[in-house]
Amino acid sequence: MENGTITYTQLLREDLGIFRVTPDNGVPDFKAGQFLTLGLPLESKIINRAYSIASSPENKNFFEFVIRWVKRPIPGRLTSLLFNAKEGDKISWAKPTGSLTINDTLPNGEKDTRRIICIGGGTGIAPFVSFAQHLHNIQDKREVVVLHGASYVDELSYKQLLTDLENESIDKGNDKWNFKYRAAISRPQEWTNRSWNGHRGRIEQFLRYDDAGKSPLEKLVGEKITKDNTIFYVCGWQGTIDGTLDYLSTKNFVTERNKRKDGSYEVKFESYG
Amino acid sequence: MAEEIINMPNYKQLCLDVLNSDEHIRFVGFVNNKSEILHSAQRNNVDSLLSDQEIKMSVHYTLERWRKAQNFTFRLGKERLTLTEYDIVTLVTIPFKGELLLVSTEPQSHYDSIIEKINSILANWEKI
Repeated sequence: MENGTITYTQLLREDLGIFRVTPDNGVPDFKAGQFLTLGLPLESKIINRAYSIASSPENKNFFEFVIRWVKRPIPGRLTSLLFNAKEGDKISWAKPTGSLTINDTLPNGEKDTRRIICIGGGTGIAPFVSFAQHLHNIQDKREVVVLHGASYVDELSYKQLLTDLENESIDKGNDKWNFKYRAAISRPQEWTNRSWNGHRGRIEQFLRYDDAGKSPLEKLVGEKITKDNTIFYVCGWQGTIDGTLDYLSTKNFVTERNKRKDGSYEVKFESYG
Repeated sequence: MAEEIINMPNYKQLCLDVLNSDEHIRFVGFVNNKSEILHSAQRNNVDSLLSDQEIKMSVHYTLERWRKAQNFTFRLGKERLTLTEYDIVTLVTIPFKGELLLVSTEPQSHYDSIIEKINSILANWEKI
């Protein structure tokens, strides 16, 4: 394990926070979408847990994470330590790893120019915040759509950053930077969400076809979503993954884990919890 | 695929049973963890103290408090009831079968007696 320092904490809610870790010897190379193992001491042991990195690989100042404090059935050991930690506290970390990374080439070696759809549930948005910043930084020309699902509006942890990226896309034009961001709130009837005017329901409902045979996602991108023009990246609770795959499997989309003989697939996912 | 069979209590009858158990009870309602009021009953000739929007706000605060109280379940056991006394009303909340029973009473009522009656009713419904 390497050493670092917690250099920034921001509580969005009692149980949701943004944390930055500055490594003692600099941020190593990693790929957008990968995760990092963080470690904190507890009773002469080091408690380790893996978290998706929300910052981009081009950010060499710190790693950023959005983390939920696990409260029940018993408080999570690492998250309790992390939420009690202060800026300046030391933390250990292990090298970035993980396969939920952006495909740049197809199995046949050609450049992958398919539209990128990212579906993140809760803190499962983290890898796609990294995706979005990375693709922006390298001036990638592919169309990128980030969909974020949450129960409450104050869980839309990167709303401002992702909205700013969409506004930049509108200002510059899709030929320069083609980015869209939408969120869904699953408990719109609750008082906390009274100001919510966006999509209501689970995030995977963006894929559900209406009576006219079009999904909200297709309306957003302006064309039919097919396995030839789109690749999906999904991260979140198993329910989010299953819900998304329920829609996509009926359209002959195939996951990386069940790829075709020619190596092709259109869905990559990572679940937690 | 097997379907889960969930026996939902008859909330309408349950609300009436609780409301009629003591003359100082003004309002009875059941709310689920999505802030949805499953059923409610109010005593005749009693004006509501809160607007519709304020009722939503009150339900939200009540659920928030309940959720936070559950964070200590692993140490202190299950939360059984909360009592909040305002100048002009007293609010009682009691978890029941995964939902939350909300009761408001006249101020300075004999809570012990009221809560005893409510718990007795709930215990009977628990068996159903």
